[in-house]
Formats: sequence, structure tokens, C-alpha cells
Amino acid sequence: MSVIISTLMYLGFILIFPGFLFCFFCGMLLCGIERKIVARMQKRVGPPILQPWYDFFKLCGKETIIPTAANKKVFLFAPVIGLAALVVIQLFIPVFGFTAFSGNADIIVILYLLLVPALAEIFGASASGSPYAGIGLSREMVTIISCELPLVLVLLAVGKAVGNAVGTGVCFSLQTIAEYQIEKGSLIKQFSMIPAAAAFLLVIPGEIGSHPFDTAEAETEICEGMLAEYSGPPLAINKLSHAVKMFTMTSLFCALFLGGLGVGIMTVDALIVLGLSIIITVCVVALINAATARLKIEQLFKYYWTFVSGLAALSLILAWFGL
Amino acid sequence: MTDFLNYRHFPVYSVMALFLGGFLIIVLGNKKVLRNILAVLSVSVSLACMLALIKPVMIDGEIITYWLGNRSIAGGYAIGIALEVDALSLFFGLLISTAVFVSCIYSIQYMANDRNVSQYYTLFLMLSGGVIGLVLSGDIFNMFIMVEILTFAAVALTAFRNEAFGALEAAFKYLVVGCMGSTCILTGTIMLYAQAHTLNFAQLSALIPGNITTSGKIAFALLIVGFATKAFLVPFHPLAADAHGAAPAPVSVLISGVLTKSGIYGIIRLTYFLFQTISQSSFRLLLVTVGSVSMFVCVTMALAQHDFKRLLAFHSISQIGYVLTAVGLCSALGFSAGIYHAMNHTLFKGLLFLTAGAVLHETGTTNLDDLGGLSKKMPFTTALFLIGAFSISGIPPFNGFASKWMIYQACYQKAVETGHFGYLLVTIICLVTSILTLASFVKVSQSVFFGRLPEKYEGVKEVPFGMRFAMGIFAVLCIVTGLFPDLVGKYLTHPASAAAFNANAYIDAAFGEGYASSMLGPFASAAQDVVFDTAGVWSPVSWLILMMIALIAVTIAAVSGKYEKCSAAPEEVTDPKHELFFGGEKNRFSQVGGSDLFWGFKYNWRHYFSGMHDLHSGVLNDYALWAVVALALAMFFMLIVL
Amino acid sequence: MITFNYIASFFLIALGFYTIVTQHNIVKSVIGLSIADYGVNLLIISIGYVPGGTAPIFTPGELTQASAFVDPIPQALTLTSIVIGACVTAMSMSLVMKLYDSYGTLDTGEIRRLRG
Repeated sequence: MSVIISTLMYLGFILIFPGFLFCFFCGMLLCGIERKIVARMQKRVGPPILQPWYDFFKLCGKETIIPTAANKKVFLFAPVIGLAALVVIQLFIPVFGFTAFSGNADIIVILYLLLVPALAEIFGASASGSPYAGIGLSREMVTIISCELPLVLVLLAVGKAVGNAVGTGVCFSLQTIAEYQIEKGSLIKQFSMIPAAAAFLLVIPGEIGSHPFDTAEAETEICEGMLAEYSGPPLAINKLSHAVKMFTMTSLFCALFLGGLGVGIMTVDALIVLGLSIIITVCVVALINAATARLKIEQLFKYYWTFVSGLAALSLILAWFGL
Repeated sequence: MTDFLNYRHFPVYSVMALFLGGFLIIVLGNKKVLRNILAVLSVSVSLACMLALIKPVMIDGEIITYWLGNRSIAGGYAIGIALEVDALSLFFGLLISTAVFVSCIYSIQYMANDRNVSQYYTLFLMLSGGVIGLVLSGDIFNMFIMVEILTFAAVALTAFRNEAFGALEAAFKYLVVGCMGSTCILTGTIMLYAQAHTLNFAQLSALIPGNITTSGKIAFALLIVGFATKAFLVPFHPLAADAHGAAPAPVSVLISGVLTKSGIYGIIRLTYFLFQTISQSSFRLLLVTVGSVSMFVCVTMALAQHDFKRLLAFHSISQIGYVLTAVGLCSALGFSAGIYHAMNHTLFKGLLFLTAGAVLHETGTTNLDDLGGLSKKMPFTTALFLIGAFSISGIPPFNGFASKWMIYQACYQKAVETGHFGYLLVTIICLVTSILTLASFVKVSQSVFFGRLPEKYEGVKEVPFGMRFAMGIFAVLCIVTGLFPDLVGKYLTHPASAAAFNANAYIDAAFGEGYASSMLGPFASAAQDVVFDTAGVWSPVSWLILMMIALIAVTIAAVSGKYEKCSAAPEEVTDPKHELFFGGEKNRFSQVGGSDLFWGFKYNWRHYFSGMHDLHSGVLNDYALWAVVALALAMFFMLIVL
Repeated sequence: MITFNYIASFFLIALGFYTIVTQHNIVKSVIGLSIADYGVNLLIISIGYVPGGTAPIFTPGELTQASAFVDPIPQALTLTSIVIGACVTAMSMSLVMKLYDSYGTLDTGEIRRLRG
């Protein structure tokens, strides 16, 4: 009997919280808020907050057109795999004290799991055979390379800072990081972690591809790049993945730097994470999005590998010397 | 009579089966069927012998010493030639014989239309026998003989399709620099003999470490450089690129997956056993530096390539760099991670070379700028290529990730433990190299398997069953070893790394209990407690289960929606809505090829890339000069620092 | 006397490597390999040398406590090494022939289709 109950509980984790339903809801909400804020900053009225949901359901009702040049299976199923992979990442990220599956992966694994949705998108685009998609995936890959170095440095810095405090020297376990922050307060309160947190915040718009780092999608130059040939439900899933990825990155930030703010009640914690995510999205995604113009791809690369990596490296060095 | 089947004889059977097979094929090999049966039979016997040794060596921890002709020890000196098989030898033997077995099966159909196929099989079996002989040998001169056999066979096989572009040139360069390496190994060997008056590996390991003279240091430098040529470490990597690119695909599997491992094996034996220099931190730093430089330089070289096989060749050395880095850390976790990665490298790189061979077999080219869109014609090959590509770039849950993850943990632990900033840098290089590896495989997939199909390849078909079967074996092994790292650790890598940290047991197995501690005195390293703690956790199976559930959920949702109603592309195009449009016109043929990709990245690194291009000039004298400089630097390092 | 052998052998090895590095004719590269090989052979033989030693042939009755042998193992090794050296030369010369057929030159500066 208890086996059935625990199975049901885990299914609940996967399907409702922190899995599918929660991700979709939060992602779409963030997406709606972001669009609204950008519109307000540009003195437009902007779409209603629920507009991403309307778009999603409308796209689901449209016909899917598959180009003759495309490899049909990869073209159609890459978005599905990408979405599933994103939800799995969400399951591994702790929500303050609540760690459903966090014991099964550490931050290095998260670093690599974040590649899976991006790769799914790249291979889906590649399979469409469109030259726009080809250019788009080339830029997307360069964006991934650009973001990877700062992310690596940030994660190593976090691992070292927590390891110093816990006494093992180095710690990559998400669960330990969450527990440590519950006990000792958020990591961002530490002097050495502030540059790392800033670097991570700057990586978020690059990872989710918003202005000024949306070179890979560039509607005006290359017709949304990787999404150029997508239509109907696969496009809907791709859009949903983008929205969920926004929430994944922000909640990862909460888990790494803002842990320990929870109260221990699951529902309240979930709401706090959502609230923090909204604040982060408004600050680093929406405001930068509205205020900047698109960078060229080589500028993007240079920006991430010099300025942002420099911030992260500073943090790593500080943590290295135990400051 | 039953003694004939005693497992103690299996190591020698496994070597002899290959050489005997090679001999018989050249004698009787005019009949096609007989030749193929002989080749498969000999590699199967060799693999079976290796598998049968898992129980006694890996699980029970026995070290098999086999004296050829039963001439063992007289007057305290080993007078016979020994085969000595501990868990480390067996580990390498196992992965080598697996790779040999699979590529032999692949060869049957791949080489079917070539001339002189019986010579091909003879050389193939000699190369395999040479490598297996090298890893099982307990005698340093025998190791040299095996190195020569495998170098010759590899050179001859590189030039086997001598009408292919660059094959002769690659073979000649490899022969000259490879023979310089062999000369170094022989000189080093003989200098050791002059000091210790024995060629037995176990005895040398007992006599040398406490007593390293100046000539011993020079010998060490010579031997290390010699084995580095066999592993194609920087600065010998251009030879690997040339040789892999020109050789037939199954041979590339052997050169990349097997021959480079023999070099790594040699370096491990020399540093952990014969000289035990690995205990010195300056030497560890040297190995780690060479490893990181190899890994980074070769991955950037790979990004700039336009040929599928040449790109894979550079990646081989990059992955060997990972192995050497991890092994050079000299921690139990690092060593275990390193040889785990060595095994995974054999599997995924074998798979990738075989898919490259499949592309060459069907289209006649491996030029990335000419190909495209093959996934519609060769779906099976494409799927396997993706498995290989994900494995090598370390995408969970494939095997490359499991071992790279351990390498990162080991590097960072070492960095924290020693407080040395260099190891931190190495960790970062490892992680960045991994993403660059991914980028270059995105390039291959876009320019070979996806994108547009050029019209001249409309008639391309999927490869025959034998080749698909061989690739399938590698693919299944890639997935299995990735999903169950615990089992791999328990039965393969942990026993092997425990053996590497227990040189005394290796020596005592040949010379009787207590010989090592009496000879080595204070240098006798007691068997250490081998700990494999990691700072994080990774459980691939749980990820897989979660991923499955998630995938099923999304698929159900998608299918219950409008997903299956998508109008399929009709075979004969009637509706222009299925066409690709580009700039308002119907798109005739516009493929984004390999050299068009990653512009922003290449632009920022343009000086580095053009410098690298000029350095790899293709002139034999330059490569020979690099070899001599490496030798001089190694000697300088050994004499001054060590 | 024997020191001279050692010096000569290392000189030969160095000379062989020098030839390979500096000479642009691939036939000369092969010659360089052979020279290095002879150097190693000389080294091996010299290491086994015992002053006043006789050939290591065991004849019953002839052997006394005072009689000294040269070390037989290096001689066996030299034989192997000579055989391998001959193989290297044969194989590299056949490659040189083939190379000349297809490239029409023996200059290393022109045999560089594989580069970068």
C-alpha cells in the first residue's frame, strides 16, 4: 500500500509540483509579465498577462507543415525531447528545503543537462534543412559556448564556497547547498559570492536568448533562425520550452544564491520562488530587453568571455582564498 | 589435458590467436569465406580469453604471471620472458579486444571491394596482436618488440588504400616520427638494462625506484617520449590526424581506440610502476600539463577541420588528453576516471569512426563541405552517429558524461586538496573543452547528416547489415556503460586502479612474497586504501526514469492534441507550402556547410586559428623537430626538476 | 675504450635525428633513421661488452671460474634490433617509391597535402 502511495506521490512531483504543471504555469506567467513590462517601457499597452497561453493554444490548433527537405522524425520530436528534458532539470533543482529528486544530481550535472534542451532545438532546426535555421543554430551554438565559461566559473565558485563552509573542501551536491543555506543563510550574503551572482544574472538573458543576446533568433535578419520552418504544435512546444527555460534559470539562481529564504511549507515556498523569479525576470530580462539593441554574435562572445567571465573569475578567486 | 584449459594459459592464447590467425590468412587466404572465418575466429578467441579472465583477475584479484617455456627465475634474476596480467593489463586488454572484435566484423563488408584483402587482415591481426601483446607483456624488451610490430602494421594499414588522398604521405610521416619514438624506447630500455641487468618488468620495478641515477633519468625521458609518440600526445598530434584520416575506417578505430591506449598504458606502467615518479608533485604537474594542452589544442584544431575523419582524429587526441590528465592526478578517483574515460573513448570514438566509414562507403567522400542531408537516406547511421556524438561531448546519460564528470570531480578535489591554482585551471579547461567538442559535433551533424541533401547523393542507401551490426554493438555498449557507472566501477575500473596503486603486489606476484619490500626498502609503497569519494552525485538511471516519464507525458499530451494531424510531406511535391523559401525565391540548393558555422567564435579567435594553421605545416622536418624538442625538454625536465 | 663506444653511439643517434630534422629529401630522412638505428645497435653491443670476455658459447669442460663471457642478452637484442632496422628501411623505401610515383618529387616541402 505504501508503495502505491509513494509512487503516486512521486508521480505528483513529476506531473504537478515541481514538475510539469508548475513549470508551465510559472514559465508562461514569467513570459507574460516580461512582455507586459517591455511594452510598458516602450509606452505601449502590451498584451494581457495570459497572452502566451492564448498563443500556445492557438498554435496547437494550427496545421503543421513539414518541409520536403526535412527529416520528419527529428524535426517533430526534437521539441518534445527538449521540453521533457527541461522539466527533468526542474525536478532536480531544490525549492528551498524541498528537494524532490535533488539527491540524484549535482551542479555539474545541471550544467550539462541545461545543454540537452538547447541541443534538442539545434538538432530540430538542423533537421529542417533551412539555411536560416543553419545560421540560427550556428549562432545558438556560439551563444552556448559564450555562456558556458561564465557558468562554469560560477558553479566552481559556489562549489568552493559551500565546500569551505561545510568542511569537505569542495561540494557540488545541490542538496548540501540547499541545506547549508537553510542553516547559515543565503550565499549571496557572502561577500565573495556577489560577483558570481551578478555574473549568473548576466548569463540568464544569454541562456534564454532575450535582447540583447537574441542573435540566434534575430527575427529581422534570419526569420527567427532555428524556428524558421516550425509551425503548429511543434512551434507551440518550442515556445513553451523557451518560457519554461526562463523559469528554470531564475529558479536555479534562487536555489544557488537565494536559498534559505523559505519557510518550510511547500506551497508558500513555491510562491516565494515564483515571486523571486518574477523580480529577477523583471530586473534582468525585461528591463535589459527593453533598453538595449541586439548585439552582433562576435560582440556577444567577447562580452561573455571577458566581462562576465571576469566577474565570475573574481568570485572564484575570492572563494579560493576563503574570503 | 585439462591443464590445457587452465585460465593461466589464456593470456598467451589471446596473443597467439591473433598472430596465428594473421599467419594462416596469408598462407590460405585466397578463399574469401575461409579468410573471413579465420579472421573472425581469431579475434573471437582472443576476446573470449580476455572475458574468461575477468573472474580470476578482476573479481578475485589474482595476478597471473606466465613464464614462456617455463623458464622463470635463476639466481635472483628473471631469465625467461614473462607475461604478467594484473587488473590494469586486463582492463586494457579487454577494451582492446572488444574494439578489435567489432572492427573486424565491420571490415568484412567494408573491405569487400578492395584488392589484397588477405594482406589487410594479416596486418590488421598483427596490429591487434601487437597491442594485446604490449599490454599483457611483463618484459620491457618484449614491450618494445610489440611496439615495433604495431607501428609497422599501423603504417602499412595507413597506406593500405594508397590511391586515397594523402595516404602515402601520412604513412611516411608516421613511419619516420614513429620510428624516432621507437628508437627512443629501445635506447631507454637498453639503458635500464645496463643499470639493472634485467629486462623483466616486475624486477625492474623493484630495482629502479630507489636508485634512479642520471642515466636512469635520461632513460625515463626517452621511454616517456617514446610512448608519447605512440599515444600521439602533443606535439605528435599531427601524425595522428594524418594517419587516422587516410586509413580505412576499421583501421582508424584501431589506431584511435587501441593504439593510442597502448601509449597511455606504457606511460602508466612507467610512472606508476617502473620509476614510481608519479609520487612527485612536479612530475604529476608535467603529466597534467601535457594532458590539458593536448586536450585543448586538439579540440580547437578539430573545430577548424573540413574533413570528417580528420576532425575525429583530432578529437581522439583531445580525449586522450583527458585520460592523461586524469591519470596524472594520481588520486584513486582520478585514475579510475581516467581509465573509465579511456574505455569510453574506445567505444564512442570507434562508433564515430565507423559511422564516418559508413558515410565514406556510401558517398565516396568525407569532405564536410560536400555532404549534407544524409539522415533521410541513412537513418540508422544517423541515429548511431548521434549516440556517439552525445557520448563524446558528454551529454547525460551517455558514457562520456559519466567519466568526464568523474574527471571534473577528481581535478577539482585535487585543486582543493593541494591548493594549487594550476589544477583549478585544468578543471576549467576540461569543462570548456567539453563544450567545444559539442560544438564541433554540431558542425558535423549539420553538414553531414542534416541540412539539404545534394542531388548527386539521391541514390545513397543505408549500409549493409554487417556494418550496421558492428556499429550497433558499439552504440549499445556506449549506452550501457553510461547508465551503469557503478557496475563498471565495481568490476572494471576500481580493480584496475587498485592494481595501479599497488606496485608491490605486481612485483611480488612474479618474485615471491616480500621481494618488493626487501628490494625497495623505504620506497616500497604499501597498498593504499583506495577511496572513490566524489563531491557530488550523479545517478543516470534515475535521470533516465524521470526522462522516460516526462517524455511519455509530453508525447501523450502532444498526440492527444493536434500533433499527429500534421500533414506529412508528400513524396512527389505538389504543394509549394512544403518547400523551403529563402529570400522570397524557392530555395534550390543552399546548404549551410561545415566551414560556415560558428563565425562569431572563429572571428574572435582568428589569430589563434591562423597561428595554429601555420604551425601544422605538414612538413616532415617540422614534425621531426617538434619530436626532438619534446625529447630535449623531457630530458631537461627529468635532469633538473626530478 | 668502451667510453668511446658510448660517445660514438650517442653521436650516431644524434646525427641520425639531426639528419631527419634538417634534410629536405625524404631518402635522406630514411638514411637518418638508419644512422640512428646503428647508433642504438652500437650502444647495445657496448653495454654487453666485458673486457677480455669470450663469445658466450657454452662448451662443457672449457668453462672455468676464471673465464669471462660477454653478456649474451644484448647480442640477442642487437640481432632483433638489426632485423627491425632492416624492416624500417625496406618499408620506408617502398613508401618513398610510391610517393615519388604519385607526387613526382622527394622534397618534404612539397609533400604536404595534409596540413592545418
